[in-house]
Amino acid sequence: MERTSKSRITDRLYIVLRLVTVLTIVCMFVPSINPARVSKLVSKTMSFFTSATSYSGLAEGFARATTKGWAQESTVRIIFGSSLIAFIGIAVIALATCFSVGELKFKRLGLILSTAASVVSGISMFGLVIAYQQLQGSSKPAKVEPMFHSGFFIFLGLILIILVLNIILFCLLPKPEKNEKYYMESKYKLFLMFMPFVVMIFVFSYLPLWGWRYAFFDYKAGGTLSMDTFVGFKWFKYLFNNQATRLDIVRVLRNTLVMSGLGIATSWVAMAFAIFINEMGSSRVRRIVQTLTTIPNFISWVLVYAVALAIFSSDGFVSSIFSPAGDGATGTNYLLSGSFTWLKMLAWGMWKGTGWGAIIYIAAISGIDQQLYEAAKVDGAGRFQRMWHITVPGLMPTYCVLLLLSIAGILTNGLDQYLVFKNANNMSTIEVLDLYVFQLGINKGIIPLSTVIGMVKSLVSVILLFSANRISKAVRGESIV
Amino acid sequence: MAKRRAKKKVKMNASDVVFHFCNYLFFGIFTLLCFFPFYYLFINTISNNDLVRVGAIKFFPQGIHFDNYVSVKNVKELGGAVVVTVARTLIGTGLMVIASAFIGYLVTKKEMWGRKFWYRFMIITMYFNAGLIPWYLTMSMLNLTGNFWGYVIPGIVAPYNIILVKTYIESIPAELEESALMDGASYLTVFRKIIWPLSKPILATIAIFGAVGHWNSFTDSMILMSSKPNLYTLQHILYNYLNKASSLQAAMDGGSVNTAALQASVLSGKTIKYTIAMVSIIPILCVYPFMTRYFEKGIMLGAVKG
Repeated sequence: MERTSKSRITDRLYIVLRLVTVLTIVCMFVPSINPARVSKLVSKTMSFFTSATSYSGLAEGFARATTKGWAQESTVRIIFGSSLIAFIGIAVIALATCFSVGELKFKRLGLILSTAASVVSGISMFGLVIAYQQLQGSSKPAKVEPMFHSGFFIFLGLILIILVLNIILFCLLPKPEKNEKYYMESKYKLFLMFMPFVVMIFVFSYLPLWGWRYAFFDYKAGGTLSMDTFVGFKWFKYLFNNQATRLDIVRVLRNTLVMSGLGIATSWVAMAFAIFINEMGSSRVRRIVQTLTTIPNFISWVLVYAVALAIFSSDGFVSSIFSPAGDGATGTNYLLSGSFTWLKMLAWGMWKGTGWGAIIYIAAISGIDQQLYEAAKVDGAGRFQRMWHITVPGLMPTYCVLLLLSIAGILTNGLDQYLVFKNANNMSTIEVLDLYVFQLGINKGIIPLSTVIGMVKSLVSVILLFSANRISKAVRGESIV
Repeated sequence: MAKRRAKKKVKMNASDVVFHFCNYLFFGIFTLLCFFPFYYLFINTISNNDLVRVGAIKFFPQGIHFDNYVSVKNVKELGGAVVVTVARTLIGTGLMVIASAFIGYLVTKKEMWGRKFWYRFMIITMYFNAGLIPWYLTMSMLNLTGNFWGYVIPGIVAPYNIILVKTYIESIPAELEESALMDGASYLTVFRKIIWPLSKPILATIAIFGAVGHWNSFTDSMILMSSKPNLYTLQHILYNYLNKASSLQAAMDGGSVNTAALQASVLSGKTIKYTIAMVSIIPILCVYPFMTRYFEKGIMLGAVKG
């Protein structure tokens, strides 16, 4: 009886320990509680993690102060060093906490490691105090503005809690038997092996969602978020109320929808390509055609643009054919014209993608039962009848899946193609949503507005995808995602 | 076989002849369209530069020389860009393949804690993204902007490739693994000694996809590395080159710049542009013939859902 209540307590304490560990790791990435910010010279955007991993980032802030002699370089080194040690300590704590899913021996090992690491990182935190004191003793305190951050106490507190929990747990855990081995259930072992990747997935795919909060603030690049800059739905309203932005959005949406629409309207071409390639008698020719037509898919859009320049610029192939003198100076640069942009982009897209898009259909054709063709032949069906009544229906399921997916992705045209082909003349017709967000956010630095647009786009895309999935389930009884 | 072919020949009637003629003609033209631009670029890089400058090289090379490929190394930034691009291609692809193989193996293990949940947690990321700007801000928060690892680390977990590997591993007879586990092998040993060697074909496929992706990418270079020109990728450098020339061109067409020196600099830039382009195409063209069979395998497996 006493044993079970004890183990229940340890289980609960372990949950607390894991939560505190996760909290500590998260805190490492929050700039506003960076304990390493012992002076105003440390950039406001640096988190404890960046202070521990980027010496150049720290040194940059102190560059002027160190050259003028207001602060010593050793101070910067102390800040960096103690942040780094604290960071490594926290990483070890995280690792050691993972051991807690194992059996007794693993648990004890984890606790010992974690205790040691928390002591080390706790002590190294005091390096920051030393750095602070050094800065205070600087010849020009007004310039280096030493400050003592509340983040210091948060981290110290967290590390202390971890330390205390570790010691309590260590006392609560029973002693292992003499010949007990390190053992962990295989379900946990597998999970622990997977966990680093879970963290990566979370960081690179889920964490950016947290960046959606920028949509609700008046944020400028390099600044921080605070409640004074909270503006609620201002940017959402701005999107509709501001005349210029509204016109932009309408234009950009039109371009996006037209280009996606053209892509969808010509999506059958790859299928036709596959059907006709399959009719070619010589398999060697077929092979060559297939190989050469898929090459464009494997070069980047920059290279496509290089190719386009070689062929269509004023000193390119087409100009040299048509200009009588044969010299480049009199040629026309077809790429600079702003007319027929949509069709040109479609043509480049098809040039790049058709051969590749056909492969999946070619594979599907080889899966069609040959007896169907034999039977149709016996019944007197002609070539086109066989194509239309056997091959096309056989490819329809594949086509439908791809079509639904492309409808779901109607707002996503990709950035590369339009980025490389854009110029001053065709900007009004080439600017698609992805390019617009890029220009607005990265080039002009209007972060909240571009976040809003990206956000709306993502939400609409997800809704479209799930609708497409619904339709597919209802019609074909199979889901596509 | 011979008999069947003979029979087929006999059956060719007039409409068949017309059909085949048109069919071959169409594919001939399309193939030419796909291939000629590369050929054109190539002959312009190996021909006499004076002839190239006046646009005299149309279908056949003249005055063949390879000096351009030697002198292209004088283009500053290019050497560094090649190193960066090769490094990211090798490291990024290597890590991605190892991670995909390992994750693909792990998610086939039914006994894993919360397997279904974590698998969905991973797969669902293929279908949404937060958008460019939040992604950028996250990367900068993680100190991955202006940092070589910013090219590599985000690409390590590639859900689509993991589906391919998982599907493939599921087709490997389970007895192989079970007997090894029975004999006391650990999961890591099973992975190293059984799963990894047996799934090499699919790993080669995803390696090629990954390598081509890394080699070709340039928007991440533009977005993440804007403050660090020494970390630009080859494609980014090429893009800058093409852009510089075409903006000059636009200015010239507009009549605002009309000095002979500028014109000359634009025109002699032509061979440099072409050569840089060729330098970045050639590696792809070289490995291309070897990789076609893997593509088909990859795309066929991709059609089977994970």
